Order: sequence, then C-alpha cells, then structure tokens
Amino acid sequence: MGLIQEISEYLQKGRAKNVKALVQQALDENMDPKEILNDGLLAGMMVIGTKFKNNEVFVPEVLVAARAMNAGLAILEPKLVEVGNEPVGKAVIGTVKGDLHDIGKNLVVMMLKGAGFEIHDLGVDVEPAVYVEKAEEVGADIICMSALLTTTMPNMQNCIDLLKEKNLRDKYIVMVGGAPVNDSFAQQIGADYYTPDAATAAETAKEAVLKKRA
Amino acid sequence: MKITEFHIELSKENVLAAIDVSRDSDLYEEIEYEFEEMLPQAYEKIQPAALLAFGDISDYEIDHNGEYETTALFGINSVGRGLSEWSTQLFAEGDYLKGMLADAMADNYLFQMDQAVQDAVVEMCREKGYGIVRRLEAPQDIPISIQKRAFDATDAAQEIGLGIKESFMYDPVKTVCQVYVLDRNISRFHNEHDCSKCDNLTCRFRKIPKVSVTLKSEAQEYKITAEKGKTLMQTLQEKHIFISAVCAGRGVCGKCRVRVLEGNALITEADRKFFCEEELREGFRLACRLYPQEDMIIELENREDEGFSVITDQEEGTASGETDSRDLSEQKTSGQKSLHGAAYGIAVDIGTTTIAMQLVDLESAEAVDIYTAINRQRSYGADVISRIEASNTGAKQELQQLILQELQDGICSLTDRKNIALQRMVIAGNTTMIHLLMRYSCETLGVYPFTPVNIETVHTTYQELFGKLSDRTLRDDFPITVCPGISTYVGGDITAGMYALGFEQLEKTCVLIDLGTNGEMVIGNKERILAASTAAGPAFEGGNIICGTGSIPGAICSVELNDGDARVATINDRPAVGICGTGVIDAVSELMRAEIIDETGLMEEPYFKDGFLLARGEREIRFFQKDVREIQLAKSAVRAGLETLISRYGVSYEEIDRIYIAGGFGYKMDVHKAVGIGLLPAECEEKITAVGNTSLKGARKSLTESSAFSAMQHLKDHAEEVSLSDDKLFQTLYMEHMFF
Repeated sequence: MGLIQEISEYLQKGRAKNVKALVQQALDENMDPKEILNDGLLAGMMVIGTKFKNNEVFVPEVLVAARAMNAGLAILEPKLVEVGNEPVGKAVIGTVKGDLHDIGKNLVVMMLKGAGFEIHDLGVDVEPAVYVEKAEEVGADIICMSALLTTTMPNMQNCIDLLKEKNLRDKYIVMVGGAPVNDSFAQQIGADYYTPDAATAAETAKEAVLKKRA
Repeated sequence: MKITEFHIELSKENVLAAIDVSRDSDLYEEIEYEFEEMLPQAYEKIQPAALLAFGDISDYEIDHNGEYETTALFGINSVGRGLSEWSTQLFAEGDYLKGMLADAMADNYLFQMDQAVQDAVVEMCREKGYGIVRRLEAPQDIPISIQKRAFDATDAAQEIGLGIKESFMYDPVKTVCQVYVLDRNISRFHNEHDCSKCDNLTCRFRKIPKVSVTLKSEAQEYKITAEKGKTLMQTLQEKHIFISAVCAGRGVCGKCRVRVLEGNALITEADRKFFCEEELREGFRLACRLYPQEDMIIELENREDEGFSVITDQEEGTASGETDSRDLSEQKTSGQKSLHGAAYGIAVDIGTTTIAMQLVDLESAEAVDIYTAINRQRSYGADVISRIEASNTGAKQELQQLILQELQDGICSLTDRKNIALQRMVIAGNTTMIHLLMRYSCETLGVYPFTPVNIETVHTTYQELFGKLSDRTLRDDFPITVCPGISTYVGGDITAGMYALGFEQLEKTCVLIDLGTNGEMVIGNKERILAASTAAGPAFEGGNIICGTGSIPGAICSVELNDGDARVATINDRPAVGICGTGVIDAVSELMRAEIIDETGLMEEPYFKDGFLLARGEREIRFFQKDVREIQLAKSAVRAGLETLISRYGVSYEEIDRIYIAGGFGYKMDVHKAVGIGLLPAECEEKITAVGNTSLKGARKSLTESSAFSAMQHLKDHAEEVSLSDDKLFQTLYMEHMFF
C-alpha cells in the first residue's frame, strides 16, 4: 500500500496520530503536498462521507475521521500555501441573525473542510450584511446559512434580498439548512440549495462549485 | 424563586447515546475515555441556574379542554455559556468529537435539571393553592414569544444575566423554558414533560401516553395497548406474548424481528445492522428497539422458534449431519400410543432453550411418545444470566409460571388430557432452570461465590408443584423427583447425563461435554469425577451469529467451498433462512481451508467488511468476521476447559476411553470438522461420540431403575468442581486455543 493510500486508510479509522506522522513522512519524502491533500486526506474524507450517507458509519466515526483529517491538515497547510494550492472553493458560513445555535453549522464547516473548501466561519447571530461583506472580501463561491428557529428563518431571505439589491445574487451560490428549513422554503426565498445534513451539504457544495465553473 | 445548587451527575450512557455511540460501536471505549477525560473540566464550566415565577398568559390560546387560570408558572433552566463556548472552541480547533460531547453534556445536564426542579415547581403551586393542568414548551405547544414573557416574569436578566434575542431565543443557547398551566384543583399536578410531543424518541425517561397496537400472525389478530415509553418487546413480554429475545433486548441478536404493516416506526441504528434497505422499507424492525408512537399494525413472525428442533434421545443414531428436524408446529410426534392400563411415567429435560418430555412405559422402560417445546422463558433472554437477572428483578413468579404452564401442556398432550394415569415424573435441568422451576431465589446464583439455594434431589408432588395449574379433580396426584446437581454451574442435567452413560460404574476414564451455552463438562469414572463449566456462549447453537438460527428447516447445516463459491445444504432442503451450529462449524472449517480466514481468525478483504456470501435464500446469508470471532471465543472456551480438566485429572489423551458430546448441537456435529477447527483434540478423534440429549435419557432411565437416585447421589458425592474462571492454566490455554 502506498503512503498516500495509507494516510487515507488511517484517516478513515480516525487515527489522528498516524495520519499526522504519515503526512510528515510524505512531506519528508518530498511528495507533492497537493497529492497528499487530494489523494490522501480528502479522498479519505470522501469515503467516510459516502459511508455516512449510506448508513455504513455513524456520526462518531465521521467525527474522529474529521479530527484526524484536521491533524494532518495542520502540518500540510504551510506547504500547500508554499506551492500555491487552490482550494476546491471558498465558503462563507454562519448561523443567521437572532439565532445562536451552532452545532449544526459547525458540522457543516467540518464536512466542507473535508471536501477541500476554504472556510470563513462567521459564527452565530450573523447580520445579513456581514455575510455579503465577507463574501466580497474573500472572493467566496458559496454563502451558507443556518437557522434553527421559525423566527429566525426570515433572516435567510433578508440576506438573499440584500444580495439582489447589490446585484450580487448571481455571483454566489446560496445554500441553506437547519431543522425547520426544507426544499420548498429554500425555493421560496430564492436560495440555490437546501441540504438536510452536513455530509450532503459538503457534497452539494462541491458539485455546485464545479458546475458553476464549467 | 432561584435555584443554583444542583447535584447532578452527567449520564455517560445518555451523553454517548445522544451522539450515536452505542455499546457495540468500535469506538465506544475510545469515546468513553474522552468523555471521562472531559468530565472535570465540564463540571467547572457548568453554571446551573433555575428560575421560577408566576406570570400572566391570558393573551395566549392554550389547547386545553376545561378551565384554567390566566396565571401560569414559568420556569427557566440554564447551564450557562461555559459548555457551549467550549464546544465552539473545540470545533474551531478541529476536535470535533469533543465538541459534540461538550454539546451533548450540556443537553444532558439541562435534562436532569428539569427533573431536579420539579419538587420546587409543585411546592410553589401548592403554596398558592394551584394544581397543574399541563405543561407547555415552545414552540411545539405555545408560540415561542412566550419565552419573552417568562424572561420578564422571572427577571432573568437581573437574576442570572440571561439575554434574549428578537427571535425570542435565549442567550446563552443552553437555556430552556417551561410553562405550567394552572387551575384550582390542588390534588392534581400534571407537571411532567409530555413525552408524546417530544422528539427524543429513544429517551429512557420517556413516559406513558398509550397507543393501540394490532398484532397479526398467520392465524390470529389481536389488539393490545402499548405505553409509548416502552419498547414493543417490553410490552409483549408484559402481555405474555412470546417473542424471541436471545440477547434479552439489547439489540444485538436480531432475533426479535417484526414487520410494521401500518404506522410509522423510526429506523434505529440496530435495525440497520440487521436489515437491508429493502427490508427496512418493507417495515422490518427489531421489537426491542421499536417504541410504538402511534397506533400501528404489526406482524409477528418468530419463524425460528416455531420450528426449533429439539433433540430427544429417541433420535440417537440417526446419523450425524442428517437433516431430520422435528417441526414444532406439530409439537407431538407420532408415537405408537395405544396402551391402556399400563403404568406410565414422564421424563423431562428442561433446557435453557428447549424442553423435551417423554411418556415412558414403566414396564418396558421405553418411551412411547415425546413432546418438545421451546422454553418460553426465552422471552426473558436466551442465556441463564439474563434469566437470573429477570428473576432477581421481579419476574420470579412469572418465570415459574411460564415453565409450569409449558410442562402442564406437555403432560396434557402426552396423556391425552387424562386417560393415562401417571405414576411418577423425573425432571433434569441445569441449576438455574431448577431454581426457576422451584421458585428458589436466584440472588446468590449470579454473584460470588455463586452458591445455589438447593441442588440436592428434590421430592415433591404434582399438586404441590403445579398448585392451581394442576387439574386436581381430573388426575390423581403423583410424585415428582428432580435430579441433583453438582454445583451452580454443573447441574442435574449433567448428573442425569452421567447416569445415562453409566459413569457410576465406569472403570476407565470418560469425558462428557454438553456443547450448549453453558459448556458443562465432566471427566472421570466411578472413583472420581471432575466437573467444570465454560462460557461457550450460544454460537454453537446459531446464537450470536449474525445470520445464525436454530436447527430449523432452511438452516444451513453444511457448507462446501469450491473455487471460492459456497455450496450449502439446508435442513429439509428448504431455501436458506440462516445458518445453524453445524453449518457454522462447516463454514469456519471451509473458509480456513480456502485460506479466506488466516490462523488468527482474520478474514481477508473483501470478506472482512461484507462477510462471505453463503447462500441467497429469502435474504442473503453471509458469514461475517464477527461470526468468526464468536466461534473463536466459543471453541477456545470449550477446548481450554477440556484441556484444563484433563490436566487437573492427571491423565493423558491415551488414557481417555471415550469423549461423549451431548446436546442438540453435538448430536449433528461433523466430528472431523469440529476437530479441524480445534474445538476437540485431533488425538482423540476416534474416541468422540455424539450422544444426543443425555439429560433426558438419564431422566428416563431413572423412571424405571430403583437405584437411580442413589447412583446419581454417588456421582454427585464423588464429583468435584474445578472453577475455570480463576484457573491460570485455563486462561493460558484459552488464549492459546483462540487461534486456528
């Protein structure tokens, strides 16, 4: 088994220490950081994400795998910057104004990282304007919004309206999620995608970015 | 009122369950460790505060038929912001697991706080002369704006520095609000959380509201009421409706499958383990994981037990590996019962799994009819440990009634209700079964030093033992004798078995092994006997095997591999429904031969993950890595036990005259393959004989031989138990024989 393959395998088993050591070893052997990232870390996360969707593994397995990925990424990141690696895409994400729930949003952040995105996490209670400003500033591809209350869901609409007002709506892919949100609500407020869970969110985000670039 | 003193312990079980970590998860231990590691810090970060205050709700519409006051009691519970902030920080650092744990800890603490404040809630209402009509939570029962009302009424900003958003969400996030609707009936306090409206379906505190469940089986349909907080299995057990519960409802054996025909049934993690997508769509669920939340129609299958084959000693010698199985739906076989006026007795073997009874002609000493049945106590778990636990937690009488009822059915069936007069009955069974039959306390059976209440010969009578179950007016009373046991672990079934084989007269040394769950074994002759039991588990009976089943029609009983493809034979040549004990041994033996399993028991890819496909019947029958492990544990327990006994007895293989294998499984076993996987020593292959149900045979023999009980007493007196669990040699051998 090649080193890269081994990284992916250990990641899937959630062995952070092994992943860290192997990433270091791969770098020491002058392997391409991009290859370590794409074929090792991200490939491993992709397997876990698919297994999760197919109910072959459950939340804890995903958590430990992502943790292992993060451990590897910490070592890899400086090298990736050196070689000028481009992320799959850039995402701005946060829980909307008036809403302090953050676990769901955090899981989406985790999965997006695992899909190779550069993440700008705005936290919770985020004003519509803040999403837009940040997206403009970093040159994002996607804006992700989470809401867990019926009283805060309208703030998703406010953000989309603001994008329209500034003539920026088509510039960004808008994704929404959260317990009370569903497909028809997403359509109604003019969002591009609704996804029911974090794994699907990451997958959809990746596809959407690729489609938009094509 | 403000409460800040709480003495709450976070529940590991519930926190782990909240993030989907079940006991059988591979990650359980790792996550358990991290949970423990986090605890001290977690407690430091929790700043609990509860507020209670009365306030006005006259402008809210409350869904309640009947009068209620416009004043309500508001409650707010908060664990502060420490844990949530920690969770956020952990996520940012990339420690997602701990982040989730911190969040789940906060929820668990909040949940327990709720229980803790209820006394104060009732006290406050009582003081003001209020009763509680019902409890409301936003947003499911009342608009979320009520949280602002509660916030103001309790002066939460001032009291505990709580914040509130325009969305009516509290800050910090781990804060909840309850509204208690009041009236002037001070004798009634419905302050409990309405579980039926809560979405935490598997919560173990979930209570009451009842639903109606219609049960359908092939012939019958009936309605029962089920409490929402109980699993379907618990409800069925309470109503005395039989359901197979090999693992006692722990969700690991998959034997309690039912099919939901109508109604919504959540799919649990355990369900996914045992059913494929299609089966799940068709409504298959585990009864032990199913919490009926609405009226539903359920189909009961229980195929396994309907067709469980019970080995009686009549079947002896009909060749090993044969596919004869007695279908229990008939229950009675065609004995040539025609005799009148003769004297009869009944021999009984009460097994943990099955019951076998024979009507014996006392003059010819021959069995003229047999009756076999499933031990209905199985609904309290397949192994003796589960039964002991059940007995100790209130089901003692219940368990006795189940077995007595079964025996009574057997007596009636064998005697055509009343036409045959019975002279006597002899019962053999393991120590736990006899304790349950006699309604002895099982308290001391399950704890060190594992002393039984009584293992001596018991002399009783039909009317005395069966009480009001006995048909007093129809039948003359007759004596019942229970065979004596050697210890808690080596019971009367083994004594009877030795007696059947004539151990009390043996000059040469012989071995008797009962290849059941308890793995009892004895070695010796008329001078001296050593006995032991070893935790073999039910693997040899198809238990704990993912696609395992009893010896029923359709059970795979032999396996042959050719070029990586399996060819199987099933009992009665029916389409494969599962794999039984003999099939399990065959499968392991063949997979070893094909080098799909290495000597450590590891299965090679891709079988490691997906298992090895044995047959496609109604569903795919696969043999999994976990199954190999089960067999490794079971076979090394038996083998190490045997080797230890031989060594302690101080003989060599050559000095052993015979090795008798008793029990339903042993009887059909392919000795060569059993030796091949290391279950039994190759050196003794020629000496191994399968002898079927020796316990029943011994009971039968003792009906007609007057010296029977003195012989059994002799065996008991000359027997000594070797405790394997603390035997160093056994432990070493156990590890040694784990491999193939």
